[in-house]
Amino acid sequence: MADPKMASLVSAILDGDCDRSLANTKKLIESGVSSENIVVHGLEAAMSTLDAKCTLEQFNLLEIMLAGRAVTAVMKLLYPCGEPTGISKGTIVIATLEGDVHDLGKNILKMVLTGKGYRVVDCGKDCPLSKLIEAIGHEKPIAVGISGLITPVIGQVKQVKGLLAGNKLNNVKVIAGGAALKQSSPEKLNVDFVAESAFDCLHYLEKITEGTE
Amino acid sequence: MNSLERITASIKIQHVDRVPVIAQIFAHAAVLAGVSINEYVHSGETLARCQLNALKIYACDAVFSAMDTSVETEAIGSTLHYYENMYPVVAKHVLAPDADWINLTVPDPQKAGRMPEILKALGILRKELGDETLVVGCVVGPFTLAGQLLGLENTLYLAIDHPQRLERLLDFATEVLISFGRAQLKAGAHLPMVFDPAASPAVIPPSFFREFELPRLRRLFQALESGGSACNWLHIAGPAAPILPYYRDAGVDIANFDYCVSMDEANNMLPTICLDGNIKSLSFVEGTPAEIRKESKILLRYFRKRGGFILSSGCEIPPESRPENIAAMVQAVRTTE
Repeated sequence: MADPKMASLVSAILDGDCDRSLANTKKLIESGVSSENIVVHGLEAAMSTLDAKCTLEQFNLLEIMLAGRAVTAVMKLLYPCGEPTGISKGTIVIATLEGDVHDLGKNILKMVLTGKGYRVVDCGKDCPLSKLIEAIGHEKPIAVGISGLITPVIGQVKQVKGLLAGNKLNNVKVIAGGAALKQSSPEKLNVDFVAESAFDCLHYLEKITEGTE
Repeated sequence: MNSLERITASIKIQHVDRVPVIAQIFAHAAVLAGVSINEYVHSGETLARCQLNALKIYACDAVFSAMDTSVETEAIGSTLHYYENMYPVVAKHVLAPDADWINLTVPDPQKAGRMPEILKALGILRKELGDETLVVGCVVGPFTLAGQLLGLENTLYLAIDHPQRLERLLDFATEVLISFGRAQLKAGAHLPMVFDPAASPAVIPPSFFREFELPRLRRLFQALESGGSACNWLHIAGPAAPILPYYRDAGVDIANFDYCVSMDEANNMLPTICLDGNIKSLSFVEGTPAEIRKESKILLRYFRKRGGFILSSGCEIPPESRPENIAAMVQAVRTTE
């Protein structure tokens, strides 16, 4: 159960109400609650509630987007200079590959993972493989998440593991998702996991961070 | 029966000599003919030539004059990025979320962007095929066009933050699609298919579909019908089961259903509307002819008694698909008992 002090913040995030989320965050800051506490007991609690609600049959993308927008606004208020330090569960690099500008799924993933305390490095849409591998080499993430809505990017997806191996980055897990990629399988795409949804990706990451994957 | 008669009978759930089969081939026709996708999406003449070539090879029941989902937004002013062998994408949306949008004008399909090329292709295809084979044009749906004008994320936030502005945008989009669709009918299309991926429950909640999209689809289909459309074909891919019950009200005659909608769901929710589907698109790339044959047989046998069925993929057959897989689907309607 969420910390009672955080209840109104959690409720505002779940309602997708940015203004109320920000007002509640300000109140928490004024009463001396640390940013880290707000992230862990406010934002993460809200995302966990949303996670429990969103099954594959009942997946309301807009609800997640609105909650995600509120989370992003709260994060900006808590950390105006950029990313938080010390509280991240790990870094994830995400991208939509060259030729694919459909970044809605990727952006949803970013919101969900950020809300759950991961540090997300977003390589953007229409991202060449070379840029992705460079970012992975630089950031040393625990995983890379690739979202794909169109089938022609599959050829690029299949190359990622080989390119990581060539750069001695074999320990980075490769996760695929999105309308086109989820029609396939990890074996055919040459990835570690194919996520049905942003939360499915989150669950896989949690297994990695818990050491059960 | 010729293709047109077969499809017309299927819409009325009447007896057919064999189940119609429509391979949803767009840029795959370019790949098949050894033409770049970039050329295919720029030239109506090339498009028509490639579609006729694909028809000759696969012998299915329809051809398409469809380039990509950015034709309308480009005609209104969005900037596209073109690739040699992939579909173009929107590089800069014409509308900004906080702008006034006072200068929105419906583009002239005879002049704007690549719209005239679509019309040219339809003219060639209809002249060549007459009323033997279904000549299908294509417009995107209102929600999809709104997303292409403003960006999908902005459009979804608009629905929450400023629903009246979204309503205005959707009304404008509908006017654009009516104008373009009617021009396609005049140019030779038997019907323009309405391709509306952004209206899928994968993107918008069913309540949004009901409140925002349904009234516009109804208006669009009525206008196309009065413009001479042979029937109303709605194509919404993804997990569309929750919105299928609204199709009758929208005026849909052919309902596309994707692989994530089961045969039972489609059949139970639309018992008297012709269905087309639903082989997984990626199977045409990754699968084998034997797998496609098997899936086709399951579909054909399921719908045998009911009729009102067109064998097809659940969404577009990807450009890089294996031709033998497409041939296996087409062949199935001729060999399955």
